Amino acid sequence: MANTEITKEEIQAVFPKVAETMADALGCDVEDVKLDVSLIEGLDAESIDFLDMVFRLERAFKIKIPRGKIIENARGDMPEAEFEQKGVLTEAGLAQLRTYLSEIPAERFGNPMKVADIPRLFTPETFCKLVIHAQREAQAAA
Amino acid sequence: MSDHFAAFSFVDRITAFEPGVRGRARFAVPGGIGAFPACLVAEAVGQLAAWIAMARIDFRGRPVAALATETIFHGDVAPGSSLELEVEIESCDEDAVAYGGGAYVDGARVIELKDCLGPMLPVQEFDAPEALRERFGLLCAAGAPGGRFRGVSVPSLIELDGVAGQSARALLQVPQSAPFFADHFPRRPVFPATLLLDSQIRLAMDLARTAIGRVTTTPLVPRRMTHVKMRSFIAPGQAVELGAELVAGDGVAARTVRLSATCDGRVVATARLDVGAGAG
Repeated sequence: MANTEITKEEIQAVFPKVAETMADALGCDVEDVKLDVSLIEGLDAESIDFLDMVFRLERAFKIKIPRGKIIENARGDMPEAEFEQKGVLTEAGLAQLRTYLSEIPAERFGNPMKVADIPRLFTPETFCKLVIHAQREAQAAA
Repeated sequence: MSDHFAAFSFVDRITAFEPGVRGRARFAVPGGIGAFPACLVAEAVGQLAAWIAMARIDFRGRPVAALATETIFHGDVAPGSSLELEVEIESCDEDAVAYGGGAYVDGARVIELKDCLGPMLPVQEFDAPEALRERFGLLCAAGAPGGRFRGVSVPSLIELDGVAGQSARALLQVPQSAPFFADHFPRRPVFPATLLLDSQIRLAMDLARTAIGRVTTTPLVPRRMTHVKMRSFIAPGQAVELGAELVAGDGVAARTVRLSATCDGRVVATARLDVGAGAG
């Protein structure tokens, strides 16, 4: 399902619980979890924290989020070979990622950009979208 | 006797299992050891989960300790006890295993683990896959001979400065060599997370006793550990600075201690411990 179909209202509906979950995982105050703060650069999140956040969000929202789901969602229907080559996003892949992570300012995207650096872009809003996608998929499967 | 599958292995026999779903096992705590702390009981539950998870993915990966949302300490385990272990696997794939479980002695629950997660790492980095496969076969059949575990020498803590009744710091010098490194793990020795937690609990309990021990007539005990997060491995010989800080609790004689472990200025582990009066 395309990212553009997610409305601001949907994001605002899940954000309080996402923020609370993230604050618990990161050991920070919930007030520090702004919708657009960089999780790595702004809240010192590490890879284990991403694992923790996803694990907690799964239980908080009663959803399943497979590992690597954000990048998979970003890639959408684009074949992997068109999305990235040797760990670096193609021009088409970068454009696709910018569309998916539309909330991220353009200057934060590298060019070229390694797939391994994508998590540096993530914000709480990214995870709100992840939750909404998972909720939609669960509803569709029901 | 080789230390592999002996010096830090806490599953004797897997009595029932569904691959990737659930399992039950036994471990006879040797009577001749000095103590069998709660963290080793938790280790036993985690090891059973690891066996069930590794079997699920045909020993291509092995889970390592990373997240434990909640561990409830219900009772002590005396040397000579027979532990009954059980785990329920919530999810298991090539990336991670999520599980919960518990341990029982004579039908009474002694520990409960909720919402634990271990990322899977390539098994060949840590151990020989064929040796693990063979061991799993033995555990599921006749079982391993008991009495292999000879106890563990817990590193002493060197007290550092702190604020009386509020916080404490201590240095944990991980030994350069110890029998458990041959078992945890043969190809990549790592200081077990549960031994780190044991040291952190000792520091927290010392702090709690000085801070609130005098207001309760029954001994303080660790009740519950939450938010356990292991950020990186601790290698043999590393110096680990442990931190404990009392934070708000649910009463004068029940408090939460925030725990941290730091190596070379980098936080390698965090957790919280709820401390309160024991049954008396």
